Amino acid sequence: MNAARMLIAAALACGVAHAQQAIVLQNATVHTVTKGTFKGSVVIQDGLITDVGAQVLTPAGAKVIDASGKHVIPGIIDCHTHIALDSINEGSVSVSSMVTVRDAIDPESIAIYHDLAGGTTTVNALHGSANAIGGLNVVLKMRWGKDAEGLVMKEAKPGIKFALGENPKRQGQGGQNPFGASLSPRYPGTRMGVEDVIRQAFTEARQYQAAWKDYNSHEAKGESALPPRKDLKLEPLVEVLEGKRLVHAHCYRADEILMLLRVADEFGFKIATLQHVLEGYKVANEIKAHGAGASTFSDWWGYKIEAYDAIPHNAAVLTRKGVLTSLNSDDVGNGDLSTRLNTEAGKTMKYGGLNEEEALALITINPARQLGIDRYVGSIEVGKQADLVVYDKDPLSMYSKVERVYIDGTQYFDREADVAARSRKDAEKKGLMEKEKAKEKSSEKAADKPGDKPAEKQEAKGAKPHQGGSDE
Amino acid sequence: MNRALIASLAFIVVLAATAAPASAEEGGGSFLLKNVTLHPVSGPKLDNASVLVVDGRIAEVGMKVAAPKTKLRVIDGKGLHVWPGMINSGTTVGLSEIGSIRETNDTGELGIFDPQLRPIVALNPESEYIPVVRANGITMAALLPAMPGGRRSDGANTQLIGGQISIAHLAGWTWEEMEVRRAGGMHLSYPAISAVSFDPATFSTRRGSAYPKAKQQHDLQVQELSGFFDDARAYWTAKKAGVAVKADLKFEAMIPVLDGKVPLVAFASHEREIKEAIEFAERQNVKLVLANVIKPRSALELIAKKKIPVILGRTQVGTDEEDDPYDEPYTLPARLNEAGVKFCFGTFDEQFARNLPYQASQGVPFGLPYDAALRSVTLSAAEIWGIDKDYGSIEAGKVADLVVTDGDLLEVKTDVKMLFIRGSEADLETKHTRLYKKYMARP
Amino acid sequence: MNKRLFAFTALFLAAAGLLTAASPPHLAIRGARVFTVSGAVLEHGTVLLKDGLIEAVGEGIAIPAGVTVIDGTGLNVYPGLIDALSAWGIPETVPAAPAAPAAAATPGQGQQQPPPQPRVRGPEDRPNAFTWVKAADLVKPSEKQIETARSAGFTTAVTFPKQGILAGHGAVINLGGETGGEMVLDPAAGLYTSVTTRGFGTFPGSLMGVMAYLRQLWIDAAYYKLAREAYARDPVTNPRPAYDRALEGLLDTHRLLLPATSRVQIERMLRFGAEFKTPFVLYGGQSAYETVSELKRAGVPVILNVKWPLKEKDSDPEEIPSMKTLQLRDKAPTTPVALAAAGVPFAVCSEGLDAPKDVIKALKKSIDLGLKPADAIRALTLSAAEIYGLSGRLGSIEKGKLANLTITKGDLFDDKTTVSMIFVDGKKYVPAPEAPTPPRQGGAKSPEVGQ
Repeated sequence: MNAARMLIAAALACGVAHAQQAIVLQNATVHTVTKGTFKGSVVIQDGLITDVGAQVLTPAGAKVIDASGKHVIPGIIDCHTHIALDSINEGSVSVSSMVTVRDAIDPESIAIYHDLAGGTTTVNALHGSANAIGGLNVVLKMRWGKDAEGLVMKEAKPGIKFALGENPKRQGQGGQNPFGASLSPRYPGTRMGVEDVIRQAFTEARQYQAAWKDYNSHEAKGESALPPRKDLKLEPLVEVLEGKRLVHAHCYRADEILMLLRVADEFGFKIATLQHVLEGYKVANEIKAHGAGASTFSDWWGYKIEAYDAIPHNAAVLTRKGVLTSLNSDDVGNGDLSTRLNTEAGKTMKYGGLNEEEALALITINPARQLGIDRYVGSIEVGKQADLVVYDKDPLSMYSKVERVYIDGTQYFDREADVAARSRKDAEKKGLMEKEKAKEKSSEKAADKPGDKPAEKQEAKGAKPHQGGSDE
Repeated sequence: MNRALIASLAFIVVLAATAAPASAEEGGGSFLLKNVTLHPVSGPKLDNASVLVVDGRIAEVGMKVAAPKTKLRVIDGKGLHVWPGMINSGTTVGLSEIGSIRETNDTGELGIFDPQLRPIVALNPESEYIPVVRANGITMAALLPAMPGGRRSDGANTQLIGGQISIAHLAGWTWEEMEVRRAGGMHLSYPAISAVSFDPATFSTRRGSAYPKAKQQHDLQVQELSGFFDDARAYWTAKKAGVAVKADLKFEAMIPVLDGKVPLVAFASHEREIKEAIEFAERQNVKLVLANVIKPRSALELIAKKKIPVILGRTQVGTDEEDDPYDEPYTLPARLNEAGVKFCFGTFDEQFARNLPYQASQGVPFGLPYDAALRSVTLSAAEIWGIDKDYGSIEAGKVADLVVTDGDLLEVKTDVKMLFIRGSEADLETKHTRLYKKYMARP
Repeated sequence: MNKRLFAFTALFLAAAGLLTAASPPHLAIRGARVFTVSGAVLEHGTVLLKDGLIEAVGEGIAIPAGVTVIDGTGLNVYPGLIDALSAWGIPETVPAAPAAPAAAATPGQGQQQPPPQPRVRGPEDRPNAFTWVKAADLVKPSEKQIETARSAGFTTAVTFPKQGILAGHGAVINLGGETGGEMVLDPAAGLYTSVTTRGFGTFPGSLMGVMAYLRQLWIDAAYYKLAREAYARDPVTNPRPAYDRALEGLLDTHRLLLPATSRVQIERMLRFGAEFKTPFVLYGGQSAYETVSELKRAGVPVILNVKWPLKEKDSDPEEIPSMKTLQLRDKAPTTPVALAAAGVPFAVCSEGLDAPKDVIKALKKSIDLGLKPADAIRALTLSAAEIYGLSGRLGSIEKGKLANLTITKGDLFDDKTTVSMIFVDGKKYVPAPEAPTPPRQGGAKSPEVGQ
């Protein structure tokens, strides 16, 4: 894997040095998402989509890939994930806006590759939901092989995580830390308290904002004064107030969704996305009026009481009622749902009757709009970054699989190559294990000459795993 | 959409709205379903076919089936597909309502050996999960008395024998009506060596350390398990010999297992415990079904050689370990199939129980033949549970557990249009559809 | 300064207990193989020691009359070895610092269920920041570990307090001396940082929490300085800043030690360290073989943990480790080779090893994999001195440097080699007879390099 990373890095270095060779994906079913679906081709040059249509001009020297019978869609965008992070929650405080997951990016997490293999090219990596106001997020492109900063999609608008309901109030009951030490309860312990924490934080942020304004005006007049202390917790909240930072709010129940919309109204900012938003369908009108987007699951429900009224028709109802809606994975660890968001989208055709284009939009252009990156990604249009997924069959079907994935015009996943490399990887691993074993043996020999391993013998005798003996 | 289809759908909707909750023991319904594409599973697909149901059983299947009496309900299913009802071979539907609230969970009883427990008696017919799962074409469920994987802090299993596995229809006024088999299997969480330790320095779990201690725990539990089986056998032997024994409900419950009448369903996920479980079952001379096989490695050959059926868990999951091929969970069914192993699927939960068909079809683009996928959630499941005489395929004489869809049963886009359990039409309304309609109508 | 005055001053200082009590003997080591490190190896070299310093070194230099001569035939003379990151000399239980407001206690450290601690509110409570703690105040010459380390050939150590996130200031100490104060060569070697946290209970409870916390602390320290200066200038209009010992300690920081073991951690800490205006050093560094070019570009030295990762003794025999783990175990011992080849300055430390002598054994492994012995010696001596800015006094055998020498019978990295004598500040020590390896001080602690 590290070797792979080096190889890719080397390949990319070459790509930067020279202009990328143009690529034409020819004769595929092209799902542009925004401009219809048709049989045609896509031209990629220097990382961008330079032509798309039923007929395209093949640039000189282009690599032409026959994609007849295949389907091409824009790279999938996962609007809520926790993969590729070495830490997710700063759960100790109710407002943790001083932290950013960008500090914790793990570019070697295998989940990045798994996402790629599932056609996901861009993710919104979010802080966890342990507190009412969480840390800052980062939008990543799954450029497997690059270092942490190389994954960051720098064009994305900055954002912050909020969380409502059961998760942020859980520590309000006190309890124990994983070492058994008792913890004093952390405020808040109720949904009322969650609202209070947010209002309190924004009240402080306003005061902080005013203090800086005051200082800056003095400074402009040439009056010397001590500036306010820079507060990393409040700075992002001021950015929210100033519309420079997107709010991604984890929420479940209709009441808390409405609460947050009203708090945002009170302080004059917008909620960019309501995340999970399982009861969003109940307050779709209010969400639409506020202008928030919704990012939900296809069919999760019932795992906790605030998820008991979740319905799989949520995405469809929200879409029908005019809310900008997306589907997400909420993945952690090795990645899971983000490797098949395409069929999660397919479910909305059954639950609520969305059409193919609407279903695909849930995982492409809609999350792009929610993250403020739709100028760059989310559909197959000339001028956008060449993030493309090639499927062997209808991408919304259970029977399709991803064959190739491009990001910025560079191929980052090729199923054939993946399958072909497996035996080599296995052999490499086996080789390392044998080498280790050989070393162990030689050092053991050096250590105890008699060559006997009494400890092991004893263990084998003592174990008797399969003796029948009865209860005493 | 053609007009005839619209008409037939309208007809179905009217029927569905007036249908009483399907119940089992009412003698079942009688009807003729015609003009459908029939997927019997036991045989090839039939276009423009009909199926005649009389008193809850399939009377006739074929291209030319006529209604025997004039008054019989006739359903024109033009454009629709008919399939055997699917069987979720491991779920807690109806036993556990809200995962995070203990009071709503009736799985995982106290005690290491609980073979006497019968989950059917805790099946809540009013559980919101039952209609939700049913509405996706699942007519039957194997109810698990315990979830796999409960571990004590020392790595040992919290439970070994969790209880019996009851098989139930997913419709009925009472659990009694829903019962198909009270004891379809005996749950065993086979002890694994769980050498996972918590490293407080990095605040993470470490695999592979503290092995000697974990092995010791494991050996102890295996010994306990053997001991329990031996004691049960001694009890049974004494009883057969007419020796007066003090009645023991646990041992009584073990007799059908020792007798080979009820399979031991051993949850064993990885190579080592799979091999051990097979060896254990052979030594105890009991019928074995393996459950939640995840990474069999070399044990796959053994499973195939010994012809041990397998209940797979969810294939729609992430990989077990970082270095695994990204599609390893997806290719597992195909690997079993190629080795000639008979398998079915459970979801081992309630939340995703309705997604049973996708566990099967997830394997198809990764090498599993479609027919094998379809069989796994219908006829293979029925065979594994020993109820294939009555269930699992559309054949004359079998019970009429039927699903009517507008497309491929295993495809996410497909809608279930009608569903019959023992020939009675089941309600497809759910908590979800009610809320959907209610809030779509909100002005 | 005239001689008499000097003598008088020395006498006065000695009387006041401020100088080393007894002047070490004037002596010469003659005919030894001298590894000067800064220059060539002298096959028949002589080293003259006087007043705790190296008076002269060379081949065929004259030995003044009255000098004690040690026959160096068959002996190797090295600059005294330096452990670049240890806890030697610091008693295991740090005298309890007066409780910091609310947060000073580290939860879960062997305490008996105390009543719930009040919650840390955030950086403003300065949790786990012991920046006012100085190793120089804590070292004790009586610590057993000092003799063990010295007997293994170490004359010098950079020793750090290790509690919390900002553990306190390390000190460069000589492993010999009558008092703690006498041992200290530099009381401000650097500030030791750990990113290991204890979860949800207290801020910061995560890696990113630690990083945000450190940023805020540095902002606060700069602001504190600003406010203090403003107040000094004009105490009427400007508010009086409250005294803050954590920030005071931070302002005294000349060097920051940041933990990084894996490639990802190294890359992360190189970015993070660059945010501060303080020079920084990475410690851990076992995967640095993958990141030499990044380290080289950043010009950041590494204090290498040479406890090479091995298969755990109690691991499951059937377990198949991850490729990453296998590669690290395979490649970690080549890290010194890669660093030396790329010219990245690095020193080594005994952290996590059972005994000080294991540092040398670990380097031997790297030598077998291609590390030049001269580079290994340099890592143990001059490089460490350079990293801590003490190369004017330590790390090589040159005129005017401290008379810290390690003298062995045989090559330093040979299994059969024994340490014959050690000089610390010109004072001769002979190794203690090899006793069964005493448990490392705080041996239960795992190296704090995890993130």
